[in-house]
Amino acid sequence: MEHKVIDHLFRHHSGKMVSVLTRIFGLQHLDIIEDAVQDTFLKASISWRKQQPDYPEAWLTKAAKNRVLDIFRTLKTKQKHIGQLSTGTDAIAINELFLDKEIEDAQLRMIFTACHPKLDARDRISFALKTVSGFSTKEIASALLTKHETIKKRLVRARKSIQKADLKFSIPQGNALNERLETVMEVLYLIFNEGFHSNKKEQLIREDLCGEAMRLCRLLLKHETMRQPKVYALFALMCFHSARLASKTDTNNEVLDLKHQDRTLWHFPLIQLGNTMMNKAVETETFSSYHYEAAIAAEHLKARTFEDTNWDKILHWYQSLYELQPMPSHVLTMAVICLQNEDYKSANAYFKKLNPDALEQRKYLYYAAKADYYKATKDFKSALEHISEAINCVNNDLEKQYLLKKQEAWLLEFS
Amino acid sequence: MIFVGKEYTDLGLSPEDMQGRMEKWFAWGSKMEKAGILRGGEALTPQIRRIVGENRTVTDLTSAEVKEIVGGFYLIEARDFDAVQKIAEDFPDYDLGNTVEIREIMVFDS
Repeated sequence: MEHKVIDHLFRHHSGKMVSVLTRIFGLQHLDIIEDAVQDTFLKASISWRKQQPDYPEAWLTKAAKNRVLDIFRTLKTKQKHIGQLSTGTDAIAINELFLDKEIEDAQLRMIFTACHPKLDARDRISFALKTVSGFSTKEIASALLTKHETIKKRLVRARKSIQKADLKFSIPQGNALNERLETVMEVLYLIFNEGFHSNKKEQLIREDLCGEAMRLCRLLLKHETMRQPKVYALFALMCFHSARLASKTDTNNEVLDLKHQDRTLWHFPLIQLGNTMMNKAVETETFSSYHYEAAIAAEHLKARTFEDTNWDKILHWYQSLYELQPMPSHVLTMAVICLQNEDYKSANAYFKKLNPDALEQRKYLYYAAKADYYKATKDFKSALEHISEAINCVNNDLEKQYLLKKQEAWLLEFS
Repeated sequence: MIFVGKEYTDLGLSPEDMQGRMEKWFAWGSKMEKAGILRGGEALTPQIRRIVGENRTVTDLTSAEVKEIVGGFYLIEARDFDAVQKIAEDFPDYDLGNTVEIREIMVFDS
């Protein structure tokens, strides 16, 4: 007997079935639907111990279909005015909704519902991870480094907003589609970044989040009206970043910066896939921020060693990105790039443009970068002043250790 | 080996978690199968009908209403309690607070 079940089968199937059943019964019955789907996995996890079905996925789909009738009965006892469902044509129509293409359609509807502007921005990610991705509240809490209770509240609030606005379970059309697609991409981008950038989490949770964001992005690309350059660019960006995921931390789970990553650990097939996506993404006149971010990520991947990095090109992409998104963090990055390039005059010009307070928690990065600038231009007194300032306002322990070590080395070097 | 404790359904396990546990049960089951010691086993549904006392009072219960429930059993052949204890080390649900009870089938000499 073959005992291996596809990775994440239950989790992914949960998202599929919740979406399909919601299409049949409507968003107002989401609670009942989620319980019913949960129940099919419970049943599977126990009955499969004895005999695993040849086609686990088909087994689960069938179980979910059988649930349709159970749900229908539950609803009927709850409210009297519900039509007959189990008769001829309806039953055929329901069968059709379980075809792969229709399942994908239902999942897209769920994604677009999760990203509806009537939902609070913070609630969108939690709701999407729960309904589309099949995460439990506990899993969402640990993935987002948020309290379990907070996630529960967000989910309740999201549902209330959906009921209150009486949202339709549909994919918007025309202009509305484009607007909503922006939000959908933003949510996927945030889910991905939660996985990619948070250094505190275990590797496994990071991979799960990145993988989910990529799976959903791929789902968008399957749909003709959403096969747009910016969506390809977002997917390319995710490919490029995830190619580096394994090299981001060392064996002690400590963060490694680009300079110290083992470049042989980069995952080549993902880089290739990213390149293919990027080729499709650039078939347009107007570039999105995802285009530039992907271009920057690709440029880093092109360099065999850190020293080979083409900083001029990266700076160029950042300048374009800054024009689209005039954010102070981009200015700081450009200053750091100029430092890498030993172009101290331009670096200083960027520093002058910045108000450190606008960087909020990342203020310490400003002081640390400026300390590097002063060191490079041999103004050791100012360098030491700035590094102490950086140490004063850094929150993250690992980063603080790093800065303290640097300060110590400089004190020796300058004396 | 009799398995006693909480049901997955009452613990709110996620689909991912359930799949993970199921795979551990697979691994354990096939390990016993390969060793040629597995003689049978069943999983039990969480509905309970309890009949108590001379009046034969009947109560229907669900797993959520009782502290612990027998979830299932494996029948295996082994030399003694120590040998079974070793096998029971792979039981996947200790971390949920669940328990394995090892009992010997009584053999009547004729």
